[in-house]
Amino acid sequence: MATQIVMDHTGDSRHFFEQTDPKGLAEAERRFKQLTDQGFTAATRKAGSELKVTRSFDPTADETLFYPRLVGG
Amino acid sequence: MRHYFIRVSSVAKLSRWTMFLFRRSDANGTRFPALRELYRSFTEQNGPEARSRRLLRDWLSPEQRAQFDANNYFEVAGSHTGRRYRIQYGTLSNVVELDASGQPAIGWCFVPERPLAAGDVMLAQKIALETDEAAMLAVAHRFSPRLPSLPRVARRAY
Repeated sequence: MATQIVMDHTGDSRHFFEQTDPKGLAEAERRFKQLTDQGFTAATRKAGSELKVTRSFDPTADETLFYPRLVGG
Repeated sequence: MRHYFIRVSSVAKLSRWTMFLFRRSDANGTRFPALRELYRSFTEQNGPEARSRRLLRDWLSPEQRAQFDANNYFEVAGSHTGRRYRIQYGTLSNVVELDASGQPAIGWCFVPERPLAAGDVMLAQKIALETDEAAMLAVAHRFSPRLPSLPRVARRAY
């Protein structure tokens, strides 16, 4: 089970999908594109590897975290 | 003209429940405070601050997590320069660059463009510094991490 975590005012919202389910994958890819178009940055983390920022949808990522664009404060 | 009908029994049930929940003079006088305590406990554990703190701890490395638990801050290494940054618990002006001796040298202020709880802000700052330090510092604002010094008092000899 893979997870997309979106930071928001409630803390975060989570979306789960099966990486083997084509419908779930398509929905996850659509969500990825929608969020990155809105300015969110996507960071992925796989078991046993370090995190990295990604610009394209990675169907093998166990966890993808989306955070809003950072600006000078 | 429309007519609305409400069953009298439903109204009676509702008012009985309301009285049960908010009646202060129950047997021990403890029901209302207990409910309030339960609500407070639930919101504390599931509110944005608690959720963001859990997410942050989950994404920290074991060393960073131990440091955060002990000091309420953790350190990261910049992806381009390898410089050390300390991210303190907070949402604004909470990142400082450390000098060779580990002392705060430069403050960097950068925040998400949408309001987020402290744990989320800190996690976004960590990822940004660890993956694209140069781009982050290009948009961040600098500030002095030291407290402003008080003006010296010139003593006059009378």
